[in-house]
Amino acid sequence: MLPDRYHQAIEHWRQHNFPDFPKLAEVWTTFFPKDEPFCLCAKAAGDIPAEIEIGDDRGKPKALQPKELAPEAAQHLLSQIRAQASTEFGSIQQHQMTLFRAQEPQDQAWVLRVMAEELRHGYQMVHLLTSQDWSPATDTKAEDMVEEILSMQTGSHVLAAFNLEFDSFLDNVVFAAFIDRVGKYQLTMQKISAYKPYASSMPPMLREEAFHLAAGVIPLRRWVEHAARGDGYIDMPAIQKSIAKWFGRGLEMFGDERGGETNVKFGLKDLNNRDAQDQYIQECARMLDDLNVRYVRARFPDRTRDEADAIFARVAAGETVDGLSRDDLLRLPDRRFFRRRGEFAFQMIGTRGETFTDVETYIAHVLDSLPEAYRASVDVKHWADTQRAVVAGTKNLKDAVASMPRLARQAGGCPCGKSVRWVVDAAGGSAGGERLKP
Amino acid sequence: MAAVRIRPVNELDIESICRIDERITGKYRPDVWEDRVAYFIRRDPDSSQVAEVDGKVVGFMLGEVRGGEFGMEEPTGWLEFFGVDPSARERGIGRGLTDALLAGFKKRGAHVARTMVRTQDADIARFVAAMGFTPAPVSALEKRLA
Repeated sequence: MLPDRYHQAIEHWRQHNFPDFPKLAEVWTTFFPKDEPFCLCAKAAGDIPAEIEIGDDRGKPKALQPKELAPEAAQHLLSQIRAQASTEFGSIQQHQMTLFRAQEPQDQAWVLRVMAEELRHGYQMVHLLTSQDWSPATDTKAEDMVEEILSMQTGSHVLAAFNLEFDSFLDNVVFAAFIDRVGKYQLTMQKISAYKPYASSMPPMLREEAFHLAAGVIPLRRWVEHAARGDGYIDMPAIQKSIAKWFGRGLEMFGDERGGETNVKFGLKDLNNRDAQDQYIQECARMLDDLNVRYVRARFPDRTRDEADAIFARVAAGETVDGLSRDDLLRLPDRRFFRRRGEFAFQMIGTRGETFTDVETYIAHVLDSLPEAYRASVDVKHWADTQRAVVAGTKNLKDAVASMPRLARQAGGCPCGKSVRWVVDAAGGSAGGERLKP
Repeated sequence: MAAVRIRPVNELDIESICRIDERITGKYRPDVWEDRVAYFIRRDPDSSQVAEVDGKVVGFMLGEVRGGEFGMEEPTGWLEFFGVDPSARERGIGRGLTDALLAGFKKRGAHVARTMVRTQDADIARFVAAMGFTPAPVSALEKRLA
């Protein structure tokens, strides 16, 4: 358990940001009857190698305290922990927005459990930040780091994927399938961390993350079956558009495709950004193949498994078979589509890899590929304005990449303290410093 | 012969498991396997295993450690579901899956593994016997309900 002040701070955060948490206990015996009750606590694996597994210091003892790492390595590690913490708390805020819109009680209970486990992961990160002296890596005190993390809202998190609002329960599910999958990769890469307390935190989190991915994929499997039979409420185009919303943000969570070697050198991760991203893309493609197979089986229920597999292979190759074409199935967007960070930021590449030369045509293509509710968001407007500015040459790429339509908390405090000031981030908009809520 | 890779099951194995089950039983039961795989992933994602050949899942074995059932308090590794694609049999895949599953059970604190086999499933009985399972000092009893 964390020291009481931090434990209470997280409990307080939970009351404001995760008001449905008490419902988990109500549904636990129905949906998770044999499982151990949820515990808001830090967990550590005991069987972590004592020696650094990769990088320049391979074979040397893993660090047990930040001061045992090189200062630059400690700074990288601290950034990882803060970013990880931001994602954990951020995803709860996002899930909470549309949790109540779930059509199936089981889907809702699964997401509720996912949220609770993300809260535990955030708790784990706070434990890492507060149980050791981080002064070799930062001048910021532990309590200030915790306050900063707990002050973040959708819009002011470290990574863009956690700054998008959910518009329907479809977002809860697609987010679990795509964004939690990036989380799995990050945790897996960090399992070898040269900082042993961090490495020890990963296996328990990964065990829980495995279910989070199932909480995304299994509802999707059932929805595509209903879509094929024509008796559901969520059709394939809606799922496809949600994928277009999240996939690029997921790719950007890996960091710039050209980077990541420093983390490998310091023994903090075992893959660079591009290699990890390549594996992720392959896994997402496999996920969509499985969903498409499920769709084909349901669309042609009188066909055998081998016949359905053959139909899928032909359709995937571009044929139209018994009225089923490639456009009826789910497809992973091109990795360069709708990108705002990394190697392909603001390149005008379409969902299928096609290149656009006219910015308005490209914006129209992106808008047509995204969910309607998301198109109306400040996030999309900000992207379109920035895309135009980049093409016009009025904004350079570096500024465009750094630009986010985010609200950043200027002073700490809790929403119930009535002392919170919000400002539009100076890097993100023209109204820097605007006081919105005294 | 391509190498066999044994690894923990994940949510993307469901379709492959459905395919293997369909080859064995002739039934397509995606809902059943979704529920089962979700259950084991949720409770103990490290113990249940699949076998891959050339990146294709050709076998699976699902189980978990539980205790306190039927008066048996000790943590017990329960082998509950398994299947190997008929085209991939006789290659040691079942043994590889069993070894990995039992290693997972041991890691989770179990000192005994148990399973049950229907009397008419002679092939399965032979397989589990070959894996070292012996008759247990417990009786499986049933009562038909009208």
